[in-house]
Amino acid sequence: MSSIITTEHLQRPITLEHHHDEEANSMFGFVVFLLSESVIFLSFFIGYFVYKTTAINWLPPGVSGLEIKDPAINTVILVSSSGVIYVAEKFLERKNLLGFRVFLVATMAMGTYFLVGQGIEWSHLEFGFTSGVFGGMFYLLTGFHGLHVASGILLQGIMLMRSFIPGNYDRGHFGINATSLFWHFVDVIWIILFILLYLWQ
Amino acid sequence: MSQESKGGHNSSHHHHKLEIPPSRWLMLGVIAVILMAISIWIGQLSYAWLPPQASAESLLVDNLFSFLVTLGTFIFLGVTGTVMYSVFFQQAGKYDYSDGPPVEGNVTLEIIWTAIPILLVFWIAGYSYQIYIDMGIQTNMGLGHLHLPIKMESAMAATTANTPEAVEKIEVEAKQWAWVFKYPNSKVSSTELHLPEGKRIRLALTSDDVLHGFYIPAFRIKQDIIPAHPLDVEFTPIRTGKYRLRDSQFSGTYFATMQANVIVESLEDYQKWLHSAATLTPTPATNQAATEYEQETNKNKPFQAGWPSVAPASPPVVNYHD
Amino acid sequence: MTEIHIETVVNQHSHHKKGAAWKQYFSFSTDHKVIGIQYLVTSFFFFLIGGIFAMVIRGELITPEADLVERTFFNGMFTMHATVMLFLWTFPSLLGLANYLVPLMIGARDMAFPRLNAAAFWMVPVVGTLIMASFFLPSGSAQAGWWSYPPVSLQNPSGFWLNGQTVWILAVAISGVSSIMGAVNFVTTIVKMRAPGMTFFRMPAFVWTVFAAQIIQLFGLPALTAGAVMLLFDVTLGTSFFDPAKGGDAVLFQHFFWFYSHPAVYVIILPVFGIFSELFPVYARKPLFGYKVVAVSSLIITAVSAFVWVHHMYASGTAAWMRLVFMLTTMCVSVPTGIKVFAWVATIWGGKLRLNTPMLFALGALIMFVFSGITGIMLSAVPVDIHVNNTYFVVGHFHYVLFGTVTMGIYAALYHWFPKMTGRMYYEGLGKLHFWLTFIGTNLNFFPMHPLGLQGMLRRVASYDPEFTNWNVVASVGSFLLGMSTLPFIFNMVSSWIQGPKAPANPWRAIGLEWLVPSPPPHENFEEIPVVISEPYGYGRNEPLIATPGQAAESHSTEVASPAQ
Ligand code: HEA
Ligand code: HEA
Ligand code: CUA
Ligand SMILES: [Cu+2]
Repeated sequence: MSSIITTEHLQRPITLEHHHDEEANSMFGFVVFLLSESVIFLSFFIGYFVYKTTAINWLPPGVSGLEIKDPAINTVILVSSSGVIYVAEKFLERKNLLGFRVFLVATMAMGTYFLVGQGIEWSHLEFGFTSGVFGGMFYLLTGFHGLHVASGILLQGIMLMRSFIPGNYDRGHFGINATSLFWHFVDVIWIILFILLYLWQ
Repeated sequence: MSQESKGGHNSSHHHHKLEIPPSRWLMLGVIAVILMAISIWIGQLSYAWLPPQASAESLLVDNLFSFLVTLGTFIFLGVTGTVMYSVFFQQAGKYDYSDGPPVEGNVTLEIIWTAIPILLVFWIAGYSYQIYIDMGIQTNMGLGHLHLPIKMESAMAATTANTPEAVEKIEVEAKQWAWVFKYPNSKVSSTELHLPEGKRIRLALTSDDVLHGFYIPAFRIKQDIIPAHPLDVEFTPIRTGKYRLRDSQFSGTYFATMQANVIVESLEDYQKWLHSAATLTPTPATNQAATEYEQETNKNKPFQAGWPSVAPASPPVVNYHD
Repeated sequence: MTEIHIETVVNQHSHHKKGAAWKQYFSFSTDHKVIGIQYLVTSFFFFLIGGIFAMVIRGELITPEADLVERTFFNGMFTMHATVMLFLWTFPSLLGLANYLVPLMIGARDMAFPRLNAAAFWMVPVVGTLIMASFFLPSGSAQAGWWSYPPVSLQNPSGFWLNGQTVWILAVAISGVSSIMGAVNFVTTIVKMRAPGMTFFRMPAFVWTVFAAQIIQLFGLPALTAGAVMLLFDVTLGTSFFDPAKGGDAVLFQHFFWFYSHPAVYVIILPVFGIFSELFPVYARKPLFGYKVVAVSSLIITAVSAFVWVHHMYASGTAAWMRLVFMLTTMCVSVPTGIKVFAWVATIWGGKLRLNTPMLFALGALIMFVFSGITGIMLSAVPVDIHVNNTYFVVGHFHYVLFGTVTMGIYAALYHWFPKMTGRMYYEGLGKLHFWLTFIGTNLNFFPMHPLGLQGMLRRVASYDPEFTNWNVVASVGSFLLGMSTLPFIFNMVSSWIQGPKAPANPWRAIGLEWLVPSPPPHENFEEIPVVISEPYGYGRNEPLIATPGQAAESHSTEVASPAQ
């Protein structure tokens, strides 16, 4: 019998490792999902690129370009919130729940600031969703991204609520890690968007 | 079985090989020659599967097609023949539960059958490329305005002096669901496409509404027509006769009716037709889509869902219609 | 002595409840095996519906005139036929097989995310209901073909925003979400849930192909989603992304669409390649020839499939360089595919063939595939495609592959794993009848499309010139035969499931983890997670596949076999 495997190999500590396995799987699955999700943005970016380089009437009549100052401030706020949620995560790892909650709420506030800023910008624009391919692309990109910001804030809200459930973190930190990763993702997308929409005019 | 597995399995499973004795090689050679003969024969037959060769381009396309049929037949017969041989001669007996030889692979074979398709691919692609260049297909359009640094000189353009006057320019207007042909030099419009034999033709394709496709099977020429994005297509008719132009890109309800006659005639006949057509006063042409749409209320289909259709454009008003 | 062990494993599981088992198939079960069968049965139901639409198409085309249904309805028929066949038959049925088999084959108790799995499945009936509901809208169903190319898809004669086209986009979007959920689940399961010892190069080829196929979903579907979202806004809100009349770009949609929908055909074909790789070794009693190369070639196909989409757009006004580059990339697919084909032929060669129903279907499908692959290569050559693009030659090409290869391949798989799934044997005689009717019907139905296309008959026409009549009559007769051919299959499956002879754990003497557990497998598949100690397909080698505690080894068991009848 050449291929005897001793029982030690086989007795995996299933009960103990089970949750950890599940967490690792969930995180892996979430990363796969985000990779896939990024292709939607990539497709929109390519669409934007094609329109911008080939459209005959790119800007709608009467529109000369986009105002950049307020969006720039917005950008700084959103991007730095990535650091804030990172700090929140660190607090949680050190089991400092209070610090965690404070920084999580700060992140949510910054995200909300961004969204409100975006809303104000939208309301002041003199072109709409149906104003040619430029108008379409602008609202499509910012809107689709805004939806992601809103989802991120929602997720953070859920994480905040969950932190009040006793024993919530006994089974690991998948929820908050995923939320944080999602937030970084949303920020990276915004940086590309900002370059495409505002800097490349 | 467990007894066998104890002693045997470590040493026995790696070293089986496909041994091919010399007599087999000879037989394989003979079979290959027969297959090749059949393939070439079918390749020659394949010309008959296509419509008449009414344009210079059709000669080129048909040669390529025949080549692909020849090669394809060889591959198809080779693969299925081998499988069929196994099916007929290598079945297990009713009570034979033994296994076949545990051959796991053969590196030489695998390299060969990777290399041969790679070579074939480059051969097919190279030949297709050559034909494409020879056809001199117009490329002054398209998304991504990059051109390969190759001059697109066409075989036909080379034989029929490539001067502007040698090219007959005709405008083609496609709409739901009618064709209109305009001859800008003679101010003639028509729902029948008349073309002079042996002359390079350049059509300017435009669409009023949706995508359409310009397709004359006898010419092997097809080009989608894109609204707000005029495109040219070029070819040389070489055979007089009456052919069919069909819309090749789905364009809605009456798509199938969007056809027109194509008349290839000698240069004199063509010019005669142009002159006589120019004298006719424009009248509305009959249009099948429009007619059917009108009758929509009193139609007699066994099954009626009553789904609405886009209304056809009003029938074209032209000098000449059939 | 080794058998005894397996028997004990089997018996320990008989405590699993049997009563009212059918009810679980209508529940939100999270058992991958239940979900697998839910997928299979649901998708087969839709296959029949898609088939009935095809019967209407063939009924209309048996005469040159448009005299059976209205033209609008005919256009709705081929649009819905393709939508149902692709999104509700091939995708979900292959997902069903994958769902059932992957966890068993890699030695896992379930998928990585069982609830996600169930949620993904239950979106399929939702998609189906939506699609069917669109028939009852005043606008009728979508009628722009399964590509939904604008501007035709933007035209809206009903004038109301809720029309067939909107519903179609919505349904495809939901189907996309469901597919993404499935893809995340499969990729995670295959990467993370393999049993100890189940290295990548010990995974059955089917698992490799599912892996390769699901990766395509992950990078391809988002592009379609992006295009669909923009199309939806064009249809409903009046944006101008794809409307040339308002400065939009109609051809850009085609790029979005085909960037996904070309690779999608490989999502469909890859698992069928996996089925071939599983079945030929079993019924030829030989190891899969060149297993590792066959496994890796799936990933090569995945990679190449992302760079060939423009071959659907040669006539769309794409620039010459695009046509030529994509011609070369398209032809390149034949290299990894050829590797597989030759490997299967070499697997069969010199084997001990047993031509039961699964093997017949697999062989038939293989032959049809080679044929369709060769017509595919013809299509990829730009000058030839310019002639036959949008003609019945294309329709012939893809039905040889979608029906001749994929659907027949699925049949092969259903017969092969039927005893495992149901614990019953099917009737071999009916199976063979089904095979011959299908094989003859398929060729009668789809072969004539090639000469028709070469002669210039266009697809999507409700009427045609009388010169095309003869071949069309043959095709229609063939299609009715094909419709009939499903009857012995349905009868066989239903009656065997209810009262067929009991199936042993391993009726085919096949090697693979799924054949080591009872038929049907118990709820958590494996009493004890198996430890895999050798490569798959050890036919003729008498080598144990797994090691079990206290027992040296278990392998395929040649004596157990009861030749299945
Ligand atoms: C599962 C489905 C499936 C599969 C596997 C394929 C496989 C292939 N298809 Fe097909 N195809 C479709 C489904 C599929 N197709 C559909 C649905 C459409 C139309 C959609 C629509 O318009 O509605 C279509 C349309 C389509 C077109 C567009 C035609 C047109 O609209 O004008 C083209 C053009 O290049 C093409 C090419 C190919 C090629 C080259 C392959 C290759 O992958 C084939 C490779 C296989 C082989 C070549 C055989 C085996 C290989 C060997 C034995 C090795 C030696 C061979 C050589 C060296 C040649 N297909
Ligand atoms: C997996 C995909 C798949 C499958 C399995 C099929 C199966 C069939 N398809 Fe096709 N088809 C497509 C995918 C598929 N198709 C696609 C993508 C298109 C392109 C659409 C477009 O252009 O947008 C298309 C288009 C298409 C056309 C061209 C339409 C046109 O361009 O105008 C035709 C025409 O003959 C056709 C016919 C058939 C037939 C006869 C079958 C048969 O195999 C069906 C077999 C029938 C059954 C299984 C029914 C069983 C019925 C019963 C049991 C009831 C008993 C009834 C009777 C016997 C009458 N299909
Ligand atoms: Cu790969 Cu050419
Ligand atoms: Cu393709």
